[in-house]
Amino acid sequence: MPTSAPEPLLEVAGLSAGYGKIVVLRDVALTVGAGEAVALLGPNGAGKTTLLRAVSGLLPRTGQVKFAGRDMAGAGPGDTVRAGLVHVVEGHRVFTQLSVFDNLLLAGYGLPRPELTRQVEEALAFFPEIAAKRNDRAVTLSGGQQQMLAVAQGLVRRPKLLMLDEPSAGLSPVLVDRVLAAMVRLREAGTAILLVEQLIEKALAASDRVYALARGSIVLQARTDEADLPNRLEHAYFGQDVSAPLAS
Amino acid sequence: MTEAAAPIRTRGAAGTRWLGKLEGKISWILLGLAGLLLPLLDDSYIGTIATRAYIYWVLSAGLNLVVGYAGQIAIGWVSMLTLGAYTTAALAAGRVGPEWNSYLALLAGGAVGAVFGVVVGLPALRLRTFYFAMTTLGFATIVTQVALAWKDITGGGVGTPGPVFPWPFDPGWGFYYFCFILAALATWMTANIGSSRYGRALVAIRDAEVAAEASGIAKPKLLMLIFLLAGALGGVAGGLFSSLQSYITPDAFTFEMSVLFFIGILIGGRGSILGPLLGTIILTVLPEFAAPLVQWSTFLYAALLLVIVLVIPGGIADLLDYKNRRPLEQHREIVPRPELLPRVLDRPAAELLTLKNIALSFGGVRAIDGLDLEIRPGEVHGLIGPNGSGKTTTLNVISGYYAPQSGEVRLGGAVLPPSAAHLRANHRIARTFQTPRLIGGASVLDNVMIGGTIDGQGSFVESLVTLPRHRRDEAGLRAAAMLALQTVGLESLAAVRTDRLQHSELRFVEIARALMLRPACLLLDEPAAGLSTEEIRRLGALIKAISRAGTAVLLVEHHADLIFDICDHVTVLNLGKVLAAGTPAEIRSHREVVSAYLGA
Amino acid sequence: MFASIVSYGLAVGAVYALIGITYNVMFSASRVFSFTAGMLGMLGGVLGALFINKMGMNAVLALVAVLACGAVLGLVTEILTVRPVLKSIEQHLYVLSTLAFALMVQQVAAVEWGTEAQPFPVLIPIDPASLWGQIDQKFWLPVLACAVTIGGLEFLYRRTLIGRAFLAIAEDSYAARALGLPETRLRMASFALAGMIGALAGFTGAQMLLAYFGNQSILNFYGFVPVALGGMGSNRGALIGGLALGLFQQAANFLVGGIFAAVAVFVVFIIVLLLRPEGLAGAATARRV
Repeated sequence: MPTSAPEPLLEVAGLSAGYGKIVVLRDVALTVGAGEAVALLGPNGAGKTTLLRAVSGLLPRTGQVKFAGRDMAGAGPGDTVRAGLVHVVEGHRVFTQLSVFDNLLLAGYGLPRPELTRQVEEALAFFPEIAAKRNDRAVTLSGGQQQMLAVAQGLVRRPKLLMLDEPSAGLSPVLVDRVLAAMVRLREAGTAILLVEQLIEKALAASDRVYALARGSIVLQARTDEADLPNRLEHAYFGQDVSAPLAS
Repeated sequence: MTEAAAPIRTRGAAGTRWLGKLEGKISWILLGLAGLLLPLLDDSYIGTIATRAYIYWVLSAGLNLVVGYAGQIAIGWVSMLTLGAYTTAALAAGRVGPEWNSYLALLAGGAVGAVFGVVVGLPALRLRTFYFAMTTLGFATIVTQVALAWKDITGGGVGTPGPVFPWPFDPGWGFYYFCFILAALATWMTANIGSSRYGRALVAIRDAEVAAEASGIAKPKLLMLIFLLAGALGGVAGGLFSSLQSYITPDAFTFEMSVLFFIGILIGGRGSILGPLLGTIILTVLPEFAAPLVQWSTFLYAALLLVIVLVIPGGIADLLDYKNRRPLEQHREIVPRPELLPRVLDRPAAELLTLKNIALSFGGVRAIDGLDLEIRPGEVHGLIGPNGSGKTTTLNVISGYYAPQSGEVRLGGAVLPPSAAHLRANHRIARTFQTPRLIGGASVLDNVMIGGTIDGQGSFVESLVTLPRHRRDEAGLRAAAMLALQTVGLESLAAVRTDRLQHSELRFVEIARALMLRPACLLLDEPAAGLSTEEIRRLGALIKAISRAGTAVLLVEHHADLIFDICDHVTVLNLGKVLAAGTPAEIRSHREVVSAYLGA
Repeated sequence: MFASIVSYGLAVGAVYALIGITYNVMFSASRVFSFTAGMLGMLGGVLGALFINKMGMNAVLALVAVLACGAVLGLVTEILTVRPVLKSIEQHLYVLSTLAFALMVQQVAAVEWGTEAQPFPVLIPIDPASLWGQIDQKFWLPVLACAVTIGGLEFLYRRTLIGRAFLAIAEDSYAARALGLPETRLRMASFALAGMIGALAGFTGAQMLLAYFGNQSILNFYGFVPVALGGMGSNRGALIGGLALGLFQQAANFLVGGIFAAVAVFVVFIIVLLLRPEGLAGAATARRV
């Protein structure tokens, strides 16, 4: 378990971001240590996806983002990916008209060919189910397989930190377990994970620490082995006490 | 939106008001005087150029409504000029039966323009921007080709003489005044439309089409009226053109002319009358005063267009808009005044909104799976649920954007027709949107007035010539809109360009627009998103007051605090079905609801 | 007469198809429909005539030079008129910026080159009596260019990584960005490629269409019809649509004469569009609310 002494892999401070005039995130701070699995939970509209997009450079942001000791100011998604921080976006968006193998090759666009092929094979090794379909077009894959492909795409660059945006969305419980199991294996192999999820219990089971985001700010930070977490989360989500509702 | 509209004065003596009305009209008075007095220069060359500018403006005034207001990229509009010119010339010269009186021939030119204006405009209802632009280009080419081929009527490549108008509008200064009068008339009429509810509706279709539908604006009919008018004006301009040229051939109607008209409007700025007028004048006059420019004139027009698009998309109108350059107060607060609601919502008894057994699938996904809902007048009904539970889809079914595959929506006893979003306004169903859909370039007051479009009684023609009923409509709409703005607490921003407002203010403007319908049923789609805690509190108080005034309110929200604060009744959706329904207290402690949110 | 309709129709149809493909390549890369496709075709002929007749280059060198010019113009289009407006919310702006640029270039051509159509030189010296000379090269050159382009694009999209990157961006530019694909550089490359295709169309078609500044408007419209018929972004649709258009146009020319052939094409175009706005092979439009 990482202690507070070594510098965290990802350090976010004072982050604000939004869409046009709408400010979604206000002054967010979080850290992810090397090899750690951190869950980012929160109700809808809290800004979890916005946070990931701001960190990976898909959205403009104000505030600081430091990754592996490097200041990521002004870095776009390309720079971020090459630095070792990969964002697997929501909705298992793969390129349906291309084959599984091509989808993975594109994830490593710019790498020298021999290295790229090797890393693609490594990524496929994590997901034998789709390795078997490597030459099939992605449109023939089921939802769960497409999600696995999306995660595999994230692996091609051998990231130090992999950010996953709701990998369980639209998947049956069995598939969700499979994807999360792959995530655990990744972590054991040394990759840090930042997992955004709606399924609290499963996310907590797979992570070391948790942040709760509500209405654009962090409202809770804890280790996952702390007591009474689900209850504390519920409070944090609804922003007020469980007891009497206000008179209408 | 247009400089012709007088600035709003809520206080001040009658004398100041008179001066105020004059202030907006200074430019017109100056231009009018310049036009009237030009003949004193006694320079026939200048007179010809000015006459040409007036003729071009007659066409452009109409095209301005199509391009500048309705936002249709009608590039090939020279076709109207061609049609009008040849119609007038052929009739006056007796190529089709006996010789016609020149004035009647001119009218006929306008009529032909009107007909073909609608013909060219019809594709605009179905086609996307670029496709429509291409069809207008194609049409312009066709017209020229037909002019070349139909030798009997048009004289083919050889051409045909244009009509000569009798005294007092004979060639020379008489004809100059004729064109001046028609240009002034065209300006007046198009300015009237521009600042009427029709003009606002056009801009709404252009910039916020979905919201326009919700306000009851029917796109097809309105667009066809505009194309008719623009075609008529183009045809009349063509007739005048054939007289000015005294002899017309097909190659007088070049693609470059289409470009000139189009660019003149864009340089002038959309949603303005004065801007495009100045733009057209500048583009007509420029090549005349710089001889080497003639060859390069189209190049300059195109370069100017590129600069405008990249640097000053708002055109001359934006540059002249001093009002909107005055800085706004920095720390503005929104202070609604719910006590004004009884005046705003003054209408007959409210009705019950019911949904029965609604089912709707997109592709293979069941977005709504057998939904029953009842929204009672005088109550705030909250609709909550995780992402993808079908909340916004339900709202869209009620407001008529999606047709359910089964089930029905009723207001009172009447079944609401599915897929008829623009008819909902007639039933006094109003809504707001997840992301505010407002016209950035229009003033806040104009945006709110759009909400009351269907309350206007006057017809298009009455607005064209500002008959009394039009004036009554406008005064009524303006007063109602100011009242709505006072109710939401934004009356001080009424004249400000909407895109200068903060996000939270935009949400309240949407509510003011919705109030214009004096709604029996108000649908709110996540109105609290992006608001501060204090603003949410005030929003909540306003929504509650709206419901207490008799409206049935449906509130879709993520903000749990707002829901539990003001709702009388809450329905929780999950995966398209009702998970739970009851009072906020019941829902709050309902285990299944909490799990659904936390995701078991 | 039949042979004439077929040869002329296929040849001019191939040019239209290539211009349609030019539109498609620009569209796939940026979701932008650019008015510069006709401009590129026009310049293929005008610049080709300039290089060969006025500057004495041989045909091959002139072809290379023309393709280079096309690529450069494509890049300028992307940098000057497309990239700045992609960030803007106003969706009609890009139509206008590309239109403005295309007009500027057309006017330069009109002033510098002249407004008269000028003959284009014969590119390949072939003895008319020989086997190769049986069909006039002005007919098979565009068809050959079309076949080479289609084949080349297939190779690009199926065999090269950059081609697959183009396909990825065309399908889902958000996912492509998130993956780290260099979106801007790929878009620039697409526009350069489109520039070359358009220039090739004009160069090989110029023996038929002549070197004429007015070809820009003609190719803009007739090159767009295949796209409208075949569906935006579909090169297969553009090919079929272009050839069909060429044949239809020539048949109409012979049967009812030039003027009414133009009217016939326009009417068919409008009818197809009104019945199926997304084209005969295109995808339905997205949800609005």
